[in-house]
Amino acid sequence: MILLSQSAAQFFNDNIALLAPIIIIQLILVVTALVSLAKTQYTNGPKWLWVLIILFFNILGPIAYFIFGRDD
Amino acid sequence: MQWLTVFNRESLEAWRNFKWIWVPLVFILLGLMDPLTTYYMPQILDAVGGLPEGAIIDIPSPPAVDVLMMSIGQFNMLGVAIIVLISMGTIAGERKSGVAELILVKPIRYSTYVTAKWMNYSLICVTAVSAGMLSSWYYVSLLFEEIPFGHVLTAAAFYSLWIIFIVTVNIMMNTLVKVPGVVAFLTIAFLIALQIIGQIFQYAANWIPSLITSYIGEVLTTGNIPEELWWTSLVTVGLIITLLVIASYTLKNKEVV
Amino acid sequence: MIQTNELTKTFGRDTVVNAVSFELKPETCVALLGPNGAGKTTTLRMMAGLIHPTSGSIHLAGRTHKDIRQLIGYLPQHPQFHTWMTGKEFLVYVGRLANLTKSTANDRADQLLVRVGLGEAGSKRIGKYSGGMKQRLGIAQAMIHQPKLLMLDEPVSALDPIGRRDVLNLMEELKQETTLLFSTHILNDAEEASDHLLLMNDGHIIESGSFEEVRRRHAINKIVVRFDESDSQSYLESLRSLTCVNRLETKKEEVHVYVDDLAGARQAIIDIAAKHHWPLVHFEVGKMSLEELFMKVVDQHAVADRI
Repeated sequence: MILLSQSAAQFFNDNIALLAPIIIIQLILVVTALVSLAKTQYTNGPKWLWVLIILFFNILGPIAYFIFGRDD
Repeated sequence: MQWLTVFNRESLEAWRNFKWIWVPLVFILLGLMDPLTTYYMPQILDAVGGLPEGAIIDIPSPPAVDVLMMSIGQFNMLGVAIIVLISMGTIAGERKSGVAELILVKPIRYSTYVTAKWMNYSLICVTAVSAGMLSSWYYVSLLFEEIPFGHVLTAAAFYSLWIIFIVTVNIMMNTLVKVPGVVAFLTIAFLIALQIIGQIFQYAANWIPSLITSYIGEVLTTGNIPEELWWTSLVTVGLIITLLVIASYTLKNKEVV
Repeated sequence: MIQTNELTKTFGRDTVVNAVSFELKPETCVALLGPNGAGKTTTLRMMAGLIHPTSGSIHLAGRTHKDIRQLIGYLPQHPQFHTWMTGKEFLVYVGRLANLTKSTANDRADQLLVRVGLGEAGSKRIGKYSGGMKQRLGIAQAMIHQPKLLMLDEPVSALDPIGRRDVLNLMEELKQETTLLFSTHILNDAEEASDHLLLMNDGHIIESGSFEEVRRRHAINKIVVRFDESDSQSYLESLRSLTCVNRLETKKEEVHVYVDDLAGARQAIIDIAAKHHWPLVHFEVGKMSLEELFMKVVDQHAVADRI
């Protein structure tokens, strides 16, 4: 049983240990995708668009880039 | 040795294009998602709103095994989609682009080419799925109840067989058609058909590979391996070998270009 | 060294290669010449084992390996590579696939890279290569296991003049050490790089032999003259009045005089030219240019087909 009406910040502070791994993994995914994008010569579609997709779509952005972004 | 040459090149490719990093990470995220959302369900309901001020939600916390099975459900949906998408072009793409024209005029055995690729994707996918299962298990044990580690290992071993089966179907489809998108479609269609057949004939044909997932629940709960799971595994191994033989044979008799 | 017997390939209702039989002698360089769509690529692909003949067979003399591919090097028309690999990595990879040991594959790769002029570029990713560089890497990968027969599909057609020159020079060297069969639709390339010719049209081999032989076989009695004046009407009239002349054709400045008796006609024309002080700038006897030969052979065949 959990009491309601905690503030978001409070909630985040209390649960940092549980949420940290998810945030870190997402960060690694985004960084890896950006590194790969920088090294790739050809992409399907403009590179700047992929930068936006990777940065602004959680998890799905990097996955979409890795699967559909490169044109080897 | 030719086999190692192809396998090493495949591995190198999977490292250089970060498959060895991002696929396991995505599966870990998939594994963490359900334990966390289930745990925070009350807060989520609250945030979504609609409940009167001061209301107290009392949701019984689900059994630990059910939560872990929810993660496995994720692997079976999104996970399988990712597995199929990352490997849909491994042979088809090479034939379509023309690289295969350079590779397959060399005196390489077709079975070498097929099984080296199969091994590479099997390793990546099994590693990723195992990592995902372990992280789900860790959070479940932390937030709900402890599930014995031995149970999880056994379950992961059998589940890996199902994953390898999926990779094998995909490799086989890769030798049938040249267009990666069609490979993905055929594989998914095949798996869905198998799932439906498995559900309809659950009792008559309790050895269908897709049923591995449903037998795993018992492994996780009790640690016992039901007899049906042994039979299903045996059939799955047999099917994997058969599919690999068919794939090599198809590629050999197919025109490369 | 290699022989094809009645090699035939049909796709659906189209017979792309029709009962093609020929033999390549060891250490020769042969051009498979023909217009686009003649069936050259299909023939080469069948010989490389990439596609299977509908009927007919291929025999390789002195075949010690059970896998014919061990003895064959093949460069497709548009070679594609794993672009993320370096040139050197790719060469070592295909070398290992051709059963070379690790150190041999390494050595061969280094040698070949230098030889095809990619010594520096060997450590660069193939994705960064130009078209000409890819073509040269393609030749290197075909040569990695020192094949007995090297087949190149249109090796120079897509290249700029410099790239074309590089590859032609390379082929000149390669034909010293292996049997070379290459396809082209460009006559000049065929004549420049090879001494033998297989002329293909519409799925058939319609002419073969050394260039000299083929030329002699299709020699036509013809004299080509050109005058140092644009108005050559009066000379044409005189030429036409000669009894030995069958017909005249004017192509730009050139006048093509078709005759029966070459020696007699030559004398008659020289006599009349000397007598009337014709301003001749060009006088050529007997030879037909290769282009004409190409067109003639292809045309004849097309006509025969229609009948």
